[in-house]
Formats: sequence, structure tokens, C-alpha cells
Amino acid sequence: MASKPKKPIPSGGKTRNATSRPARKHTARHRVTATESPSAAARPRIARVAKGKRPQYFSDPAIDKILWITLTLCEELSVTRDRLDTVERLLEKERVLKKSAVDDYEPDAKAEAQREQRRADYIDRVLRTVSAELQELSGRTAPSMEEAIAAVES
Amino acid sequence: MQIATKSLERHAMLPRPNHDEAARQAFVTAFRGHLAANVVPGNKIAYERRAKLKFEAAQGHAPRDEHDVRRAMEADPYYQFWSAMQRRSQELMWEAVIDPTEREWPQLIERSRTSRGGTRQLKRSGSLRLDPSLVVPRYHTAVDIHLQPGGYHTDYADDDVAAGAIYDRALNIYLNGTLGPRNAFMGELLTGYFATQWPDRKPARILDMGCAIGNSTLPWIDAYPAAEVHAIDVAAPVLRYAHARARALGAAVHFSQANAERTAFATGSFDLVVSHIMLHETSRSALDRIFRECHRLLAPGGIMLHLEIPRGTTALEKFLFNWETYNNNETFGAYMTNVDLAALARNSGFRSPSLVKQRTERGPEQRLYSSETVWNILMAER
Repeated sequence: MASKPKKPIPSGGKTRNATSRPARKHTARHRVTATESPSAAARPRIARVAKGKRPQYFSDPAIDKILWITLTLCEELSVTRDRLDTVERLLEKERVLKKSAVDDYEPDAKAEAQREQRRADYIDRVLRTVSAELQELSGRTAPSMEEAIAAVES
Repeated sequence: MQIATKSLERHAMLPRPNHDEAARQAFVTAFRGHLAANVVPGNKIAYERRAKLKFEAAQGHAPRDEHDVRRAMEADPYYQFWSAMQRRSQELMWEAVIDPTEREWPQLIERSRTSRGGTRQLKRSGSLRLDPSLVVPRYHTAVDIHLQPGGYHTDYADDDVAAGAIYDRALNIYLNGTLGPRNAFMGELLTGYFATQWPDRKPARILDMGCAIGNSTLPWIDAYPAAEVHAIDVAAPVLRYAHARARALGAAVHFSQANAERTAFATGSFDLVVSHIMLHETSRSALDRIFRECHRLLAPGGIMLHLEIPRGTTALEKFLFNWETYNNNETFGAYMTNVDLAALARNSGFRSPSLVKQRTERGPEQRLYSSETVWNILMAER
């Protein structure tokens, strides 16, 4: 332990955007040292993944991943609802609008059209993995990675 | 007994989550509460109406113990899905607590340094003594206990306190507030037991082993204000946090980094040695060494008290409690299910040790794996 490299004092934590977190570096030994990289030295991180093999719960490991992601999304949706609730309550408190104004709101034609477009884009994005499979089946796919790599290496 | 207050008391060392961080913690609490109240009990139905019958058909006999139940249940889709959700809830819990800790990290370290202030270690202000040469035992380093990234012991920065700050908040979420506003319930349970059993005793020197953030240590100060209270742990970051936390809450505890298997305290120097849910985080061989060390540290007539977590009574309950071993990195838990602690204590020189059960009330969303919460207290006199 005495030979452990001197670790930097963490420099000021910054408030991160709630929905887009920066990529995290998970070190195998859960040690953040000054020698890792200049950025790691400037801002050490606390590990987010525990040491120890994660059990596989389903016959297909992809199901484990999907549940992992789904529950994370559940959490983030709950956070967003809480935040929206905070905004509505603050607006009511500041007498900007009544909470019932949101419930009673009826979008006009222009607003509704914009919402429809946004919903369609959103569904596209969420279900992209399904449409990507269909594209592949339709033969509109790119060459295989092996072919693409061979093409640039020759 | 009333169900404990859900929210934690604010103190200088507890990171304050911002809006969305608090919302994440609230979600995890609600999600885990839902799993406990509505999903976990379904395992009994899945077991009795499906998994058990399939096991009997295949094996020609009913499941004999918790290990047979495990073989039966691991193939059951209801158990699988609950298990996968429970695992993710534990990971989400740490993530939700680590974010605000990392944001306030420099301030927390600075506050803990300030609270140490100077070299004079007055009795009334407590003290902190770290031992950089101490080797953290393998039962802590092999995997991260409870899935806390870095465990209790990893320093991510000089004078780090993050592991303690993370553990403090997570403990409140993990047990859905049942430990009360200072996470002190287990210490209160044990001080209450001691005071009832030995109403005339006023211990002058008390040692708390495996104290982590000192949440169970502080009730001993409250119960015996004249006592000199020492608390040890193998992990430096939780000890730094524990010391600063105790100072913030106005308690004087002498924290030091030591392994309960072998400490540097003088023989016969304590009249009470306690631990709170430490034993199941050690190992089979460590248990013997810990009991022998307790025997060495106690003055003649001194008392040893170890509080241990509930482990269930039926084979199904034992299996469910053992979920923690296989899915939550509580490696020694399953073995502890059937270990005869009193017999081990007797082999270490204690006369007439006994295991006492203490029942506590919990709401459905606060239960772990059984409808009743029954704590174990190993009690022995030197």
C-alpha cells in the first residue's frame, strides 16, 4: 500500500446533464491514478461497476441487457415526471399558470402536427433495432464487415 | 415497535443530491419497495405450484434444503425475472448514490480533513488512527461486497471518504429507511438488548468491530455517555467518513484501522466488545480468529455481543436470503445460514454462549425475503 501512486485530489465536481452522461472509464482494479491519462488525472472518477462476475439470468444474454436498459429507462422516465411535476408546481406557485391549465390544454392544429412528427421520430428512434433488421432482410444492407475491411486493406 | 422514519437526517458529511439525483434515489427506493411487497412474495407461489413439482418429478424426492430449492428455482421463469430485476435495482441504487457523492467529492474530503483538525486527540472529540500497512483481507477484496463499486476499502483520492458517503445513503435506500434517520437502528437494538440483560452494568470501555461508517457505534455513546468507545474497521475511506460523521453528529468515538481477527489493543482492555452485521462479511477461518480476539480483549466477566442479519427459517426463506450471496456479492452469507455461532464461540473459550432471536416489525415494502424480520444476537460472557 505504501508504494501506491499518489492520487490527485478530485477537482471540482460539475453538475451533469441528467439525460446525457459522459462515457465512463471503468478500471479493472477500481483505482483511478494520475498516470492513466491527462483527463483522468484532472478529474478522477468513482467506479460505477462492482468487481465480481455478473450472473446471467436468462438463456440469452441479450435479454439480460434489454432488461438492464429497460429498467434504467424506467428510472429516467420517473425522474423526468418528477422534474415536470416540479416545474408545474413552481409555475403555479409563481402564478405563471395553474396546474389545471396543463391538464385542460388542447393543442391547435399546428401544435398537433408538430407533436405528431415528433412522436413519429421518437418511435423510429426507439425501435430502430427492429427496422434495421428488416432493412438487412430486404437486401439493402452494406457489405459485411469482413468485406468492408478487406476492401480498405487491399 | 414503530416502523422507522424513512428519510435520513442531514449532516455535514452527507452529500445533498440535486433534483434529478434525488428523483433517481426516490425511484430506486420505490422500485425496491415494490419488488419487496409485490414481487418477492410471488416466489413462494412459483416455488410451491411449479418449481417444487418439477423438481420432485425429475428427482423423485422433495427439495431437502435451501440448496435443493435453489436447483429447483433457478430454472423457474418467475424467479429468474424477479432475480434479474432485484440485481438491477441494487446496481441502480449505487449509481444513484455515487453521482451526487462524486459531485460534492472535493468538499466532502475537505470537510473531513477539517474535522480532524490538529494532532491533539481529546477524549471528547474522538480520534482517527489509520494504518497504511494493514492488509485488507481477501474476503473484502475478492469481489465488491453488496456490489458497491470499490467496496468499503477503495481509495480513489488522497484522504478519500467517498466509500463512506456512498454507503451511508445507500444503507437508507437498501433497507427502505428501516434503520431510521441516522441509520442507527441496529446499534439501538443491541444497546437495548444489553441494557435489558445487564441493567446494572455501565461499561467503561467498549469496542465496536467492523464499524464501517459508525452508524451502529453512535447509539453506544448515547446509551453510555461516560464510556470510552472505540471502533475499528479494515477500510480507510469508511473510517475517515465515520470519524467526520461522528464529529458532525456531536459524538466522540475513537476510530482506528484494524482487523478484528487481530488488533493491537491490550489484553483484557475492554468490558464490552460488539459488532453489527459484521460476521457474515468475513470467512470461516476468520470467525474463529475473531472470537478468540474478542476473548483476549475482554476483561474477565466482560461481554461479547454480535448482531447478525436475519436468515429465514424455512428452506425457501433460506434460499431467498442466500440470493444475496450469489447475486449481491455477499460471499460468506450462504455458509453463515447454518453455522453454529454459539459452538464456535464456546470453542474460542467463552462459557455458555447463546444465540438470541429478536423480532422487529416492518412494512411489506421494507421486508427482505421473509414475512418476519428476526435478528440473531450471539451473546457470550468472558
